[in-house]
Amino acid sequence: MRNQIEFEVSGKYALFTDPLTKLGGEKFSYQIPTYQALKGIVESIYWKPTLIWIIDEVRIMNPIQTESKGMRPIEYSGGNTLAYYTYLRDVRYQVKAHFEFNPHREDLVHDQNEHKHHNIAKRAVQVGGRRDIFLGTRECQGYVEPCQFGKGESFYDRIGELDFGTMLHGISYPDETGSNEREVRLWKAKMQHGVIRFIRPDECTLVRKAGEGTAKIFDAGNMQSVDDLHSEWFGNEVSE
Amino acid sequence: MSWLANLSKTYDDHADVVGQFEMKKSGKEYALIPISHTTQTAHIEVHLNEKGDIVNAKVVEKNDGSTIIPCTEASASRTSAPVPYPLFDKLAYVAGDYTQFCGEAKGTPYQDYLIQLKAWCESPFSHPKVQSVLNYVSKGTLIADLVDRGILHADHQGKLLEKWTAGSGEQEGEKPKIFNVIAADQSGAFVRFAVNIPGEPESRLWRDASVQQSFIQFYEMSLQDKDICFVTGNYLPVADKHASRIRHSGDKSKLISANDSSGFTYRGRFRTSRDAAVVSYEASQKGHNALKWLIDRQGTTIDGKVFLVWGSTSLDMPEPQEDSFSLWEDEDDHEALAGGDTTHKDFALQIRKAIGGYRYDGEYNSKHEVTLMTLDAATPGRMSIMYYRGLDQNEYLDRITAWHESCYWIHRYRKNKNDKPVLFIGAPATKDIAFAAYGPRASDKVVKGLMERMLPCIIDQRPIPLDIVRSSIQRASNPVGMDNWEWEKTLSITCALVNKKEGYGVSLNTETTDRSYVFGRMLAIADVLERSALGKEEKRATNAIRYMNAFAQRPGRTWSIIQSNLQPYQARMGTGARYYNSLLDEVGDKLQLEDFTDKPLTGLYLLGFYSQRNDLYTSKKDKEAAAVLDKDDENQLNEQGDN
Repeated sequence: MRNQIEFEVSGKYALFTDPLTKLGGEKFSYQIPTYQALKGIVESIYWKPTLIWIIDEVRIMNPIQTESKGMRPIEYSGGNTLAYYTYLRDVRYQVKAHFEFNPHREDLVHDQNEHKHHNIAKRAVQVGGRRDIFLGTRECQGYVEPCQFGKGESFYDRIGELDFGTMLHGISYPDETGSNEREVRLWKAKMQHGVIRFIRPDECTLVRKAGEGTAKIFDAGNMQSVDDLHSEWFGNEVSE
Repeated sequence: MSWLANLSKTYDDHADVVGQFEMKKSGKEYALIPISHTTQTAHIEVHLNEKGDIVNAKVVEKNDGSTIIPCTEASASRTSAPVPYPLFDKLAYVAGDYTQFCGEAKGTPYQDYLIQLKAWCESPFSHPKVQSVLNYVSKGTLIADLVDRGILHADHQGKLLEKWTAGSGEQEGEKPKIFNVIAADQSGAFVRFAVNIPGEPESRLWRDASVQQSFIQFYEMSLQDKDICFVTGNYLPVADKHASRIRHSGDKSKLISANDSSGFTYRGRFRTSRDAAVVSYEASQKGHNALKWLIDRQGTTIDGKVFLVWGSTSLDMPEPQEDSFSLWEDEDDHEALAGGDTTHKDFALQIRKAIGGYRYDGEYNSKHEVTLMTLDAATPGRMSIMYYRGLDQNEYLDRITAWHESCYWIHRYRKNKNDKPVLFIGAPATKDIAFAAYGPRASDKVVKGLMERMLPCIIDQRPIPLDIVRSSIQRASNPVGMDNWEWEKTLSITCALVNKKEGYGVSLNTETTDRSYVFGRMLAIADVLERSALGKEEKRATNAIRYMNAFAQRPGRTWSIIQSNLQPYQARMGTGARYYNSLLDEVGDKLQLEDFTDKPLTGLYLLGFYSQRNDLYTSKKDKEAAAVLDKDDENQLNEQGDN
């Protein structure tokens, strides 16, 4: 697909918190990553406000295993509390994602250079991403490597269909929807031979409102074009 | 499927047993409670007729007290503020003459109860029997009627007695039943109603499915607040509060709670807990009720930690924490094994047969899932899912089989139904592994931790954590520190753990030249030799046993001590020791010269020790017979060489 990147992300632990258990604080992980968690990983690899990343597919490579740990989260009224967090253990995912230009970013139309962004993104995958990668929650460090999607053996290759039921798809933020409302999206996840094909955020039918916000504005005040920077540094020299 | 969706599906799959009480071996009753219902212990049973007149009343026996009662979200989590249950409740709520007999009540419980009951009767989902109850309680004469019938007891001032003091002037005769079933005073008695209508088989309202259904529909109608449910994905009435009392009736912790309105568990991105997630009333009720039922039915609880396994097709599954013996414990034909069959093939067949009983035949394509779940609470208020795993049923059974067939040894510590010790070959229970690794006085906290750590070894076939194996080897190498039975148990369990990794098997391996194994064999021969020289009456530990710990650390040096200590016994036995001596030589031959050092032995020496000892004890007679036959041969030479 156009503008697509493929990579493998792995880590010792992952915690894609099930929202039901986030309420009480005894966090328990979903069995598979959410769309939003993968989007966050891709955005850590490379992101500009001009882009919207769309996650196409994820392939679960290792068997889904859980492990719990005793935690001492901070009690904001003072001191500590105790909790058990249940993590996924030893995870490895192959991800396929592509970017599209954000139609709600009229202020950044001049930056919509597909070829440029795609090449930067591919280089960013090569070096393991531009920023820290984490799997679901901050304490679960992840590592990105380029890969060919579908290559290698997955534990679930021979398992026809696994149903994960209703789960969180992600959160829609104002800068990508154009409206001033924040929305939570749900969807019904299914895995076929280890591969989960995500539906696009705008295809989600189970959407509920969860507060509001506004998109950050980007203009000449907080952004500088690379061409301007170039001419500022090197004058009118033409780069080779 | 998510955990709550899975549980709520389990509820739907077993809708046919909803509301039916079953009895556990311990005599405890449990049931799958319908949604919008809970259980309470009733003390008084009032029988009415169709018109709502009292016919009969009695005190409920203690073991018959469990009653399924309708409840609302508010009443299910009521504390000191009075919130009535919809149908059955305490006297303060259902008796109109409560103030007359017991003094003022807090709030207006009776009025609230009546309003709620009237609303039910006036709704489209009313039930004629509930109407009869309303007719009766509206009269407000319940306590008076009960006093008339000798169920409750009043004093001279016309107030209910606080407690029964036998022998005092005004209270004569035997202690009335009501004081036996209720711990507090009579005013706290819980009342349930039955309505006798001729021709209707079920008069007990708390067992009448149509009454339960009527309330469920009525209550559903009253739930107005709808939202998208995170479990089902449907637009449904929302649960405001979630169930507590999940592990047992005194348990306050909840799986879903949201009271951290000042911290940052969900606040930050979300303002209210409602923003973060919502669960429908139906999914929450079904899921939690199914979970409670499963825990009551087949959960294993240790120090508050619940281990639970259930299948989607048939609930009962072999539990991973159980030993092989319990697989065929309930069958009668396990005697065949106790008869001394020790070949691996026979034993594997036994395991497969026992586990095969759980496999499904028939439609192969449909889904049969097994779910493993472990729950525990770090703090009293919140409960956590510590382990959750869904597996295909056959795959699960394959893995359980593989565990029983790989982590096995001969065990002698189990007792059968007749309380006789039995021999079984198989895997030890994880609880017994904790016994071997940490000793019999290990606290429940340590035991439950080990049991959880063993789960991935059984389910995912991961290697057993080294610290557990090492600690067991350490304890098994120190027989002097414990009673004989305790040591034997520790030894056989440790052998199972070591065997899981090494795969040597129980039967003696005479070929191997592994240093630890061979040293273990020599120790066993020394032990058996001295034991037979001591005779049956002498119980003291042999030199081999006493030096076992040192032997494991410095085998080369310790062996020469053991051997020199053995000499008097060899002398006492005379020619009787011939066989042992020749065997010692034969085994010693396996040892390479460079292996005869003081390098500590690995756990494998326990296998060599056990197998050799077992071999000597079980087939000694055969071998002695064989030895006698060629006594003229090189045996004599060996004997001298050995000394």
